[in-house]
Amino acid sequence: MLEKTKDIAKQILEEKKAGGIFGLMRNRWNVVQPHMFEDPAELDALVLEPKWLLAKLAMSILRSSPENYKLAVVCRGCDERALIELIKRNQIEKERILTIGIACSQEQAAICLCDRPYPAKLDAGKKVSGVDPFQDERVREFLIGNDKKRMEKWATVLKRCIKCYGCRNSCPICVCEPCKLEDDIWVQRGAVPAEMITFHLIRAFHLSDTCVACGACQEACPVNIPLLYLQLSMRETLKEKYGYEAGLNPEVKSPILSVVFEEPDTDREYPAWINSLREKDGY
Amino acid sequence: MGTKFTKTICPYCGTGCGLIIKVEDGVAVATYPDSEHPVSRGSLCIKGWSAHEFIHHPDRLTSPLLRKGDAFQEIPWDEAIPMAAGKLRETAAKYGGDAVCGLSSAKCTNEENYLFQKLMRMAFKTNNVDHCARLCHAPTTVAMAQTLGSGAMTNSISDLAGADCILVIGSNTAESHPVIMGEIYKAIDGGATLIVVDPRKTAVVQNAKIHLPINPGTDIPLLCGMMKHIIDEGLYDKDFVKARMEGFEELNEFISAWTVEKASGECGINPELIKLVAETYAKAKESAIVYCMGITQHACGTANVLAICDLAMLCGHVGKEYSGIYPLRGQNNVQGACDMGALPNVYPGYQSVSDPAIRDKFQKAWGVELSDKPGLTVTEIIGSAGKDTRTVYIMAENPALSDPDVNHVLESLKALDFLIVHDIFLTETAKFAHLVFPGTCFAEKSGTFTNTERRFQLLRKAVDPPGNAKEDFTILCLLGSALGLDFSYNHPGEVMEEIASLTPAYGGIRFDRLERGGLQWPCPDSDHPGTQYLHKDRFTRGRGLFVIPEHTPPKELPDDDYPYYLSTGRMFAHYHTGTMTRRSPFLNREAEKAYAEINPEDAIHLDVKDGEKIKITTRRGSIITTARITKRVSKGCIFAPFHFTEARANMLTNPVLDPLSKIPEFKVCAANVKKESQDD
Repeated sequence: MLEKTKDIAKQILEEKKAGGIFGLMRNRWNVVQPHMFEDPAELDALVLEPKWLLAKLAMSILRSSPENYKLAVVCRGCDERALIELIKRNQIEKERILTIGIACSQEQAAICLCDRPYPAKLDAGKKVSGVDPFQDERVREFLIGNDKKRMEKWATVLKRCIKCYGCRNSCPICVCEPCKLEDDIWVQRGAVPAEMITFHLIRAFHLSDTCVACGACQEACPVNIPLLYLQLSMRETLKEKYGYEAGLNPEVKSPILSVVFEEPDTDREYPAWINSLREKDGY
Repeated sequence: MGTKFTKTICPYCGTGCGLIIKVEDGVAVATYPDSEHPVSRGSLCIKGWSAHEFIHHPDRLTSPLLRKGDAFQEIPWDEAIPMAAGKLRETAAKYGGDAVCGLSSAKCTNEENYLFQKLMRMAFKTNNVDHCARLCHAPTTVAMAQTLGSGAMTNSISDLAGADCILVIGSNTAESHPVIMGEIYKAIDGGATLIVVDPRKTAVVQNAKIHLPINPGTDIPLLCGMMKHIIDEGLYDKDFVKARMEGFEELNEFISAWTVEKASGECGINPELIKLVAETYAKAKESAIVYCMGITQHACGTANVLAICDLAMLCGHVGKEYSGIYPLRGQNNVQGACDMGALPNVYPGYQSVSDPAIRDKFQKAWGVELSDKPGLTVTEIIGSAGKDTRTVYIMAENPALSDPDVNHVLESLKALDFLIVHDIFLTETAKFAHLVFPGTCFAEKSGTFTNTERRFQLLRKAVDPPGNAKEDFTILCLLGSALGLDFSYNHPGEVMEEIASLTPAYGGIRFDRLERGGLQWPCPDSDHPGTQYLHKDRFTRGRGLFVIPEHTPPKELPDDDYPYYLSTGRMFAHYHTGTMTRRSPFLNREAEKAYAEINPEDAIHLDVKDGEKIKITTRRGSIITTARITKRVSKGCIFAPFHFTEARANMLTNPVLDPLSKIPEFKVCAANVKKESQDD
């Protein structure tokens, strides 16, 4: 899988299909970190492990690079879905991004509770089957069964929040400017823990139809709050009721967005990215 | 495309989390967590996420500055260095080498700290070198060296996740060491009991099973009461005490007077609760004690740490995985600054300046005669300024905000013949300097930091220093050379090789070995994998020693004139004197102005509403700040963070010292509070 990825990457650079390959590099001391490969000779150092989410970094690279710069990203299923969501929301231009899709291992899928551990455009590696997160015992404790007990569990873990904003900062799809968490209505400045309802639920609901379940929020949480679980039920509902899954098809809009746009205009303010869709798509 | 990612280490607390700095065309634009880092494993606190924000701040110093009257004038390096060397030499010639003092820095690298103390010791034959560890963990170094033989955290941060009982005393881990708090939560999720001793209802308390809100400064009564109960009930580890300890008889005799009832009377905790906590700690298979400034910043700070060591050793909770004693170090490299001998009584590796054989080793290595007389501490340097102390070189420390009784500190700084301050911003202290060196921040240099679990970690340069600022390593080499020393190092790695050659515990530390994950000392040779926990089978000093912790109440208690307890500390978004965090927009928005916490009942009594101005007065001075009304503090207690220059909490604090470690009593003094008229 690694060799094939390197071959594809090399070809992209040699054929100048993209200015750089964004992936992971391992140096001679076995240290791994994200890296922009712009010289094919460097690609020997390309690696695929550990799981390291690159979509958000890729977006920031595109934003700070010249308009004609194209980037190829070595991405897992979740990274690909995040990039598709960013394209759907006019955060990155489809024409400027290429993906080299790689499959995750069965072990990785189990760790991530991932129901789709491969990208739609799979270039290297072999698909393994997904995991149903709702079969996981810990997920069930938090999401299924006695309300009172579940509430206690959530209160216990959310009370631990140290307000690092890591969940927001690491989320590939968290792009609103200004961020609701900083508008001085919902979240009190200078206090920890962050408010359970306003901080965490606003953040979770903002991502309800766009979360690709990559787990970046949870992985970034220093106090191990199972933030991914907050999204699972909403993802499941959209799938069940509307047959919709974030990040799968660039052409299919979120059911929530269609509702927003079909409503009569109520002078409400929407985040800039929603307004950008209005302009672009003529809503 | 000029985008690159540089792995490095966070410049804030002693946890030592891994950062990845994103650099675009030479500018650090964002910080991300390092998924591979052995401690932080892909997470960061709010300060870590914001670590790039102050790097390119317009306030950065970009040229050496010379005082001209009330103003500063930019001068070139080739004037600044000879001038500094000249002034230092002049003082030494006129008053003797001991009239020169240096404050090294817990913000700087190991190599810089090593060079700093070497420069002071070689050039002026003085041991007058100290740093801000004096104000945080000096009692730990003294007490743990006495009881265990090594003044460092016994275990690794990740060990906490495997503990069955965690006793947190005087540490607001959730705000001050957030990433370490994550390990504590892992332990709780695995069934561990969290017990917190703190007069304040901190974020840690809110997640604890048991909270002991003791009266300020009564840690020893509580710990002695616990030990008495543990001994009476036969819950102590008799085999461990017999096989590995000395001094049990003496301790037992001393403890026998501390009945649980007597302890309860002093600390204000119900005797049954003291017993429960004692039993929980003693009976758990793996018990850990985490402590911080709430223990050390007292006039009995050393005795407080002794009591903690005694309790842990009594129950056999040292020298194995998942248990141990965890003094959480406050600064990114305060462990390293101590390790490198930026202390007045020891060379690198805690080798005593008074030991003739050790002094001989350093004299031979450095090729000069060295002083056998221990030097002055931070607090003594400030105290003797203008008298015995004439010229001071301060590298990246800010005593004008961080030291107790700031009014006195400012007078002392003014009384000096010559003051050299080396920093990245024109700090409150630098404003008093005659000569200012513009230094470099963490992202602009290479070297090593040592975190609170004794882990040497590699700092990697991400961007260039601003303007004419120079790497601190270079400045020290230039100054050393100007003073006639052979400081011809080409790279910090060469300094590390010299450190390794002189210090057995760091003998195996080399830069290339630190690339992946760092190394925890002791690491005596090049094949040694580093040490996860200390005192296995044998204490560093041989047998562990029980030392009697004599209780002395706080030196200044509330009375009719000053009826409140005042305590100082940190809040989650700011760091120490705020030089970096208050210039970081995302951190500063969390707390833009000074405040003090006050209990709702007191607020009613004082007729103060949340957000209104109050005046806090102690025998040293007064500040006007904003009231934050909260039940986090109990009735009769005030808490003031010390980050704010416009209302310096250290104007108020009591400079009385712990006799052994010379730490001031930051955590308790008596204060009065009044509502400030709202007109102005």
